[in-house]
Amino acid sequence: MANTIISFEAVDKRYGDTIALNDINFELEQGKFYTLLGPSGCGKTTILRILAGFTSATSGEIKFKGQKINNLPANKRKVNTVFQDYALFPHLNVFDNVAFGLSLRKVPKAEIRRRVLEALRLVQLTGYDDREIAELSGGQQQRVAIARAIVNEPEVLLLDEPLSALDAKLRTAMQVELRQLQRRLGITFLFVTHDQGEALAMSDEIFVMNNGKILQQGNPVDIYDEPINHFVADFIGESNIVKGKMVKDYLVSFVGKQFECADAGMRPNEPVEIVLRPEDLVLTDVTKGKLTVTVDTQVFRGNIYEIMSHDSANNQWLIHAVHKATIGQKVGISFGPEDVHVMRFGESEEEFDARLETYEGEEE
Amino acid sequence: MKKRFSWQNLYLIFVFALLYVPIFYLIFYSFNRGGTMTHFTGFTWQHYTELFSDSRMIEIVVDTLLIALLSSLLATIIGTLGALQIYSVKRPVVKNAILSLNNILMVSPDVIIGASFLIFFTFLGFKLGFGSVLLSHIAFSIPIVVLMVLPKLNEMNLSLIDAATDLGATNFQVFSRVILPYIAPGVFAGYFMAFTYSLDDFAVTFFVTGNGFETLSVEIYARARQGISLEINALSALMFVFSLLLVVGYYFLNQYNSSKRTRKRQRLEATQIK
Amino acid sequence: MKRFNPAYSFLYILWIVLFVIAPLVLIVYQSFFDISGHLTLANYQAYFGSGTYLKMTLNSIWYALLITLLTLLISYPTAYWLNQTKNKQLWLLLIILPTWINLLLKAYAFIGILSQNGSVNHFLTFVGIGPQQLLFTNASFIFVAAYIEIPFMILPIFNAIDELNPSFVNASRDLGATNWQTFSKVIFPLTINGVKAGVQAVFIPSLSLFMLTRLIGGNKVITLGTAIEEHFLVTQNWGMGSTIGVVLIVAMVIIMFVTGERRKKGRKGE
Repeated sequence: MANTIISFEAVDKRYGDTIALNDINFELEQGKFYTLLGPSGCGKTTILRILAGFTSATSGEIKFKGQKINNLPANKRKVNTVFQDYALFPHLNVFDNVAFGLSLRKVPKAEIRRRVLEALRLVQLTGYDDREIAELSGGQQQRVAIARAIVNEPEVLLLDEPLSALDAKLRTAMQVELRQLQRRLGITFLFVTHDQGEALAMSDEIFVMNNGKILQQGNPVDIYDEPINHFVADFIGESNIVKGKMVKDYLVSFVGKQFECADAGMRPNEPVEIVLRPEDLVLTDVTKGKLTVTVDTQVFRGNIYEIMSHDSANNQWLIHAVHKATIGQKVGISFGPEDVHVMRFGESEEEFDARLETYEGEEE
Repeated sequence: MKKRFSWQNLYLIFVFALLYVPIFYLIFYSFNRGGTMTHFTGFTWQHYTELFSDSRMIEIVVDTLLIALLSSLLATIIGTLGALQIYSVKRPVVKNAILSLNNILMVSPDVIIGASFLIFFTFLGFKLGFGSVLLSHIAFSIPIVVLMVLPKLNEMNLSLIDAATDLGATNFQVFSRVILPYIAPGVFAGYFMAFTYSLDDFAVTFFVTGNGFETLSVEIYARARQGISLEINALSALMFVFSLLLVVGYYFLNQYNSSKRTRKRQRLEATQIK
Repeated sequence: MKRFNPAYSFLYILWIVLFVIAPLVLIVYQSFFDISGHLTLANYQAYFGSGTYLKMTLNSIWYALLITLLTLLISYPTAYWLNQTKNKQLWLLLIILPTWINLLLKAYAFIGILSQNGSVNHFLTFVGIGPQQLLFTNASFIFVAAYIEIPFMILPIFNAIDELNPSFVNASRDLGATNWQTFSKVIFPLTINGVKAGVQAVFIPSLSLFMLTRLIGGNKVITLGTAIEEHFLVTQNWGMGSTIGVVLIVAMVIIMFVTGERRKKGRKGE
């Protein structure tokens, strides 16, 4: 806890009757890469704007190193922002854009020059300092925006969907670069995105948001493997979600059959939802499979075949298979107990964590 | 929104007062029983009844409206065709040249337009009067119509035309069924601007009107040079109400159009979300 | 529209030839004739030779500058704060509305307001200063001209501020700028094109407001416009009038050039 740099305590944000943020609580530690992930309109950008000081919370406390900063104006906060549209000043060239913050603070000319060139070097734009903004490509503008923010040596860097305007290839490259840059600088990054692939690839910690609430917080692997509810499972990666019943600890029933699983701590016969990731499903003979499905469609994706199929109860099953199947044919699918993830209805993150602790300790 | 006192709002109130006080001052004294614009001695409709029985003034009002209606209509037709012409020119050099020529009358001072038109009409031996005033008003209204229509044409998606042609429309059908409905708001705005330009003009008309034909502006100028006449106040009150109705009508038509547009845009954006 | 029939735009082309090119050519042509119809350079000699015309021109430019400056000083804050109001489009419409009132009526109103017994003098008497000569002064001309031009200055500035991406303001604050620094280093430079357009819209007409010099200025202020009107409609010396007209056109071209948008290639948002 000593390293906590930012904390939100019971933060609400309302615009008239609409609730943009509902009881947001979280803490950010120094030097980590955090991501706010959620669909558009979920409130992730609002959190960023409140933290940057562009808008204020309706209630709750925002703390920076333990100090309440609710009423501190944006220009006094030790955070800097990389805007979604970059917001590079069109009347200034690259150098002057990056130097903007330093020159306001009356930093000596020579030092400004040194630090600006260093920042440009960090974002691999050495030699671009006297270019006009309009002459730069989208990816270059994006780097200037990052340089302009980091040159001020903020303790927290806020990034508002900075990669959304880039094409797919550049985006992947920038993901790696951003992550490396964060490690090199050692400062906290708070990254906002609606792209789950981006979030999984870059983050130390992810906050999954929807409808103004943080649904789940965790490292990418946990979020992917143990989504807390239907929304998170559906939003992160691709999933097959079916209704089922928890027969007893480590035994769950769905599609009329009983299966071993790795979950426990629920009421006997509690109705639940089951998540099975398509890449965890293995195609096999009807006789060897745990479930029997009929193949509907098949799309070749280069590395895998994406197979849509349905079972006897008309549940859709998406399978990522290495080998081809035949459309219209019945096939078996198999999976291990670890692949079956059980989700309770309406379970909060705290309850989820508490339940996990009751039985996970035993296994080790 | 902010109910609290602020210097900003005070300043805005000051500017609005500055803009409107003279106008309301005029209107206020149009009801003055005394004949001056300085001491209000009592309420009367007298100046209005005088105005309505002034057959010369009524004739001038009718002439002014006639000029405005005719000139804006003709300017809208010619200007729209001109905009289509500019739009269809492909070479940027030619396009910019035509646009520059188009804008000359937009930026020229009124006296230059008036003086050069006067020379022009005299040079041709054209008799000054209704005809010369009408032609002048058409002439200085055309560029504004072009400037209102052209952006509409430029924002029009070219595949609309290709699609219409592909579906079997003739050139004229493409124009009447696709282009015209699309640019209609621009044409309408151009007509409105041309109309107000014409009503408002004084300097150009003053130069080319000759003797025997007058518009309201010229008449007001002549009377104002002789001093205060509360009939003019009554006239300005009526003109203020007329302008207000015009503007409010235009505003609501525009609101209606733009709300249609916004809805269209929202729908577009909704389909773009991945 | 690959096959737009040029026949339709015949009238438009005719308009360009007859009402744009021909009058311009004619006014230049006319400037080389004296009052009795002889081809001569005398008008230009008179204009550049005698100090009166040059002084009048400088005077006219000086007044136009004052009017433009006064208008700008009043309009920029108005446009800026107008942008922060709710229903700003409606307020803007109210700013523009007075431009639909005939200019002469507004000038006429000031004859009443500024007259010897007018409201302003009533007020001055009331606060103990006593009545002043207000009408037919240089100051009254500048004030009324500014009054008439204010909406034309507010409109382009308002639009420029309205189009300003709010991210720029946020970015500036984010980088540590105070309100004033944000204004002077970001907002004003980025809305300078609106200011230029406004200056263009105000300065050029201010050179030629002859009706105001007559009604409000009491013929004390002679602008280029007044001189042109005088020569064309009073003394009938069209040649000299045209010469001054040519000077005004040259002045206009210079203003357009100075305030013209020198666009940087491919600037965002254009």
